[in-house]
Amino acid sequence: MTAAAKKAPPASRRYTGEPSGLHAVGQSFFLIAETAGGMGMLFGRVMARIFTLRVDGAELMRNLYKMGFKSMPIVIVTVLFTGAIMVIQAAPLVQRFGAYGLLGWGAGFGTLREVAPLLTALMINGRVGANNTAELGTMVVTEQIDALRVLAIDPISFLVAPRFIAIIVTLFVSTLFADALALLGAAYSGYGLLGVEPGVFYNGLTSGLLGFGDVMSGLVKSVVFGVVMALASCQYGLNVKGGAPGVGRAVNATVVASAAGIFILDYFVSFSL
Amino acid sequence: MSGDQAPHSTAAPHLPDASGVPEEPGMVAALGAEGISLFQTARELYSIFVRTLYYCFRGRREPGAVLEQMYEIGNRSLFFLTVVMGFFGTILVYQAGLQNKRVLPDLTMLGATFLELLVRDLAASIGALMLATRVGAGIAAEIGSMVVTEQIDALRMSAADPIDYLIKPRFVASILMTTVLIIWSATVAFTAGMAAAYFFFDVPPRTFSNVALVDVGDLSIGLAKCVAYGAAIPIVSGHSGLAAHGGSEGVGWATTRAVVNTSLAVIMLNLVISTIGLMIFGG
Repeated sequence: MTAAAKKAPPASRRYTGEPSGLHAVGQSFFLIAETAGGMGMLFGRVMARIFTLRVDGAELMRNLYKMGFKSMPIVIVTVLFTGAIMVIQAAPLVQRFGAYGLLGWGAGFGTLREVAPLLTALMINGRVGANNTAELGTMVVTEQIDALRVLAIDPISFLVAPRFIAIIVTLFVSTLFADALALLGAAYSGYGLLGVEPGVFYNGLTSGLLGFGDVMSGLVKSVVFGVVMALASCQYGLNVKGGAPGVGRAVNATVVASAAGIFILDYFVSFSL
Repeated sequence: MSGDQAPHSTAAPHLPDASGVPEEPGMVAALGAEGISLFQTARELYSIFVRTLYYCFRGRREPGAVLEQMYEIGNRSLFFLTVVMGFFGTILVYQAGLQNKRVLPDLTMLGATFLELLVRDLAASIGALMLATRVGAGIAAEIGSMVVTEQIDALRMSAADPIDYLIKPRFVASILMTTVLIIWSATVAFTAGMAAAYFFFDVPPRTFSNVALVDVGDLSIGLAKCVAYGAAIPIVSGHSGLAAHGGSEGVGWATTRAVVNTSLAVIMLNLVISTIGLMIFGG
């Protein structure tokens, strides 16, 4: 780096501010590496606070209420609809083969393993992840984080660690709710649309084709998604620059990064389980 | 949909205040306030939608702005959507194949069923959920920043309707680009699924690419979803952006609301269109 700085490149090839194609690729690579590294560092710092129990309890409870309890309506609406959509999508297959007994299995498998954790994570990402970035970003822009440091209060253990725990707990509990409610929605829309009795649906669900492993797979996913979402939203929130538009940009970047991270990790968790 | 999130909830003036004593809203009042704000949001969304449609036909002709938004919405989302849909297709085929093997060991119809599901629902809905986060948050953040820095008021003062100036180009661009991006994401997901089927279950790509199950009904439902989602994303997120107020916190609120409301809109539209499709085309 220093060697390159000493020996300036010829004028024609110097960086002029107009990013060329290759330059843009390198720049975005460095940006991604910087963000990923920052998230890793943040994870280490948060873990250090959590293991030494330096987490602000009141802030944790406040965030659990704000993130967990207040997101319940959205989660409920989303997964009830999703359960119904699952059944509508399965309907032609079921009707084609006359396999009404398998409807519970099909909807249950898809819901427990993929759809409930994924959709819950996406909705919570929008509601909680974005909100968290906005909140932290506003604190950064209005210099409240610096004020905390001046008062010798560690912003990580006071602000970030409680949010980190709260997001993971929220996602885990919401996924449990989502599993149950999506299956409820699926059972009753199966009754309404296809005339499959809820009892038959329940039998298909419990006849042995689905095991505890399917539920666990979804729950492990929810924890992994929670870690990604918490890290991304805190990292982008703490690195906001430039006033109100900066906050907007950071929120946008957070939801995109978290959504991409959720899908990519979904892939790896699916394979490792 | 928005009452618990927006600090500027329009519910307050509707509380009875005859005695002059500020009342703690009870359970019923809270529910009513929620209902009123939901109703008002619906009315505002309807108003923005109708005005956008009006300006699409009667407004200023501004192809430059539309092109710029098409680049912003389309090209800038391409990489994100490609990555997500690639992983999504792989997971889906892997999981479906595993389950399929448990019931019947014949995987020849895996590709055909996967393609039918993609065309009818998954490509459009998952793609639109992704676009709702990326594009919706982007629109709300941009318009929200304009609102808090009083650029919208400046537009109004210059007798330019922000709907015509800001929402209409995004609306037109979003409908076009959402359709294009969703067709692209279906292709990506199908290709990724084909690779997954080949590597994990030894299904040859020739067997996997089977279009036998895709019929007119699936295609029309899929395209209807593309257009509906493409129209809904800018309207809902633009509404959230225009409702922003008060500094960086307001922009944050607006963006959050945009992501949540746009995703909810996508899921609700999905249910509506899927149900109508099931009624019209049957199985």
